[in-house]
Amino acid sequence: MIDMNKTLGIESKKIRLYGIIFLLILAVILPLIFGLNLYILTVLILMVIFIIYASSWNFLTYTGQGSLGHAAFFGLGGYISAMVASASGISPYITMLVGGGAAALVGLFIGVICVRLKEWFLAMVTFGFAIIIQTLMVSQFAGATGGWDGIAAPRLISSGVPNYLLVEYYSIVLIAALVILLFWLILRSRVGLAFAAIRENEMEARAAGIDPVRYRLFAFVVSAYFSGVAGALEIHHIGYITPEIFSVDISFWPIIYSISGGLGTLAGPIVGTIVITVLWDGLQTLGITYARFIIIGLLLVLIIIFLPKGLISLPDRVRKYLEGRQKTS
Amino acid sequence: MAGGIDVILQVLIWGLYAGCIYILLAIGLNLIFGVMKVVNFAHGELLMLGAYITFTFYALSGFNPYVLLAASVPTLILAGIIIERLCFRPILGTGKLNEIFISIGLIYIIQNAAALIWTDEWRIIHSPYEKITISIFGVNMPLDYLIIIITTILILIALYFFLRKTRLGKAMRATSQNRKGAMLMGINVERMDMLSFGIGAGLAGAAGTLWVVSGQVFNPYMGSIPAIKAFAIVIIGGLGSIPGAIIGGLILGIAENFAIFTLGGAWKDAVSFIILILVLIIRPTGIFGESAE
Repeated sequence: MIDMNKTLGIESKKIRLYGIIFLLILAVILPLIFGLNLYILTVLILMVIFIIYASSWNFLTYTGQGSLGHAAFFGLGGYISAMVASASGISPYITMLVGGGAAALVGLFIGVICVRLKEWFLAMVTFGFAIIIQTLMVSQFAGATGGWDGIAAPRLISSGVPNYLLVEYYSIVLIAALVILLFWLILRSRVGLAFAAIRENEMEARAAGIDPVRYRLFAFVVSAYFSGVAGALEIHHIGYITPEIFSVDISFWPIIYSISGGLGTLAGPIVGTIVITVLWDGLQTLGITYARFIIIGLLLVLIIIFLPKGLISLPDRVRKYLEGRQKTS
Repeated sequence: MAGGIDVILQVLIWGLYAGCIYILLAIGLNLIFGVMKVVNFAHGELLMLGAYITFTFYALSGFNPYVLLAASVPTLILAGIIIERLCFRPILGTGKLNEIFISIGLIYIIQNAAALIWTDEWRIIHSPYEKITISIFGVNMPLDYLIIIITTILILIALYFFLRKTRLGKAMRATSQNRKGAMLMGINVERMDMLSFGIGAGLAGAAGTLWVVSGQVFNPYMGSIPAIKAFAIVIIGGLGSIPGAIIGGLILGIAENFAIFTLGGAWKDAVSFIILILVLIIRPTGIFGESAE
């Protein structure tokens, strides 16, 4: 049986409700607590963008797929949005939808090749696609993309507006909330049930009249679209874009966030992104550079081995452990 | 394009040499996959370690770098066994995505540990035969390329005899054909896991040494590109097929060098994936692969 209440990944209804309210309040007041510190505000903005990105990546895993090359979509969304915005002068908040559309189109193309592939092949091919697209961007399309130097991207909100970073932050939080709400709506609908059926047993899903290829493709396109939107948000926040955006790191971050939070749950990527970002920037302020990659890597390995359902399963695990001890004593 | 047949020969020889390093990597991946049904995405990092171990021993001892295969291969075998025991064994059978993701953790650990130890500068060492070229069919070829090709062939022959003629090799093949059956025949399959991972890592170490002596630059982050190409070869040749890996490696090495020659250097890395995608569209299990599952 598939329990749809587990979509969020947290079993207790109460914790779930309080968790959502707590997160929303935190998202609103956090930048105010720190007295509009620009560094912290920038970290927060990037964190929320990565929550969108990690959630989009994670959306794929509901159908049992995984991608090692989502930087392709993240970067494409960024490039297309930057080009359209600079050429037309339309607000990046609108062009990011175009960027996402371009990413989704390429996602459809990759998806058509990949949906029939199993885990290993899919991982290798998606990994490769990010490199092909990077190569195309710096060689064939260098005229439009500026090659390795990259191009400038219009800012989300002009820096002339008072407190523009704060406005940017709230707008991105709103977008993130809408995207996650949309994912939730999709996952609790019949589509979500079909995803779960395909993930658990493809043969049985087929027997029940579900076409796995169609649903996988749908998941791939949706995931690519919102990764593209996240990419567009990031580069419009930073103000420029270079082919570095297709690097392996950008492909791996959403994986690290989703796994450490909890794969295949809505809360997982959010919790994971927050925890890892705090850890990452905390280590940076301590002056640790290479070693923090090692720490993140170790954390990832340890979580996969000892906490396969991610950090969000930690409260349940602790509760069960304590209950078990009470019984034995 | 200037020249005719001799240019093609030149490119073929470059391709053959490039193919050798990819073949060693891809065979290692295939051995591990055959026995454990695990793809080690951190395989390129093992090549990088092999390169740095060669570099360190060369700097310390000044031996002929080819001799240092005797240092890099055993060290990497040991590293492979440790990685298998600590990381892959605890999660074996818990889902294929987990096995992919644990390699990502390993990539971060190994790359940055190397960056801490050796710094992230690009390094290069010079082979003693660097300036010697020999002429084959009227084409000039660095002596190093010839030695690398011969070394690879010798390693492949040794591997062939190990897998075909020794008890241990036969046990390994039995495990990769049918794990349960092998277990029932009294083969310690967990030891076979360790062994296959060790040999796979050792081959990657050998590839690392050959990478260094051929005068290519290396830094702690260089492993991912050769590894991705090894995956491409594995897919082209079929997952778990060793002859497939050899042919796939040669196809890729040659195609890549033709691409550099005709399309330009920027295409070097992308061409392998274009081939890969074409193969997957036409035959999703690879040219020589039977079935992925």
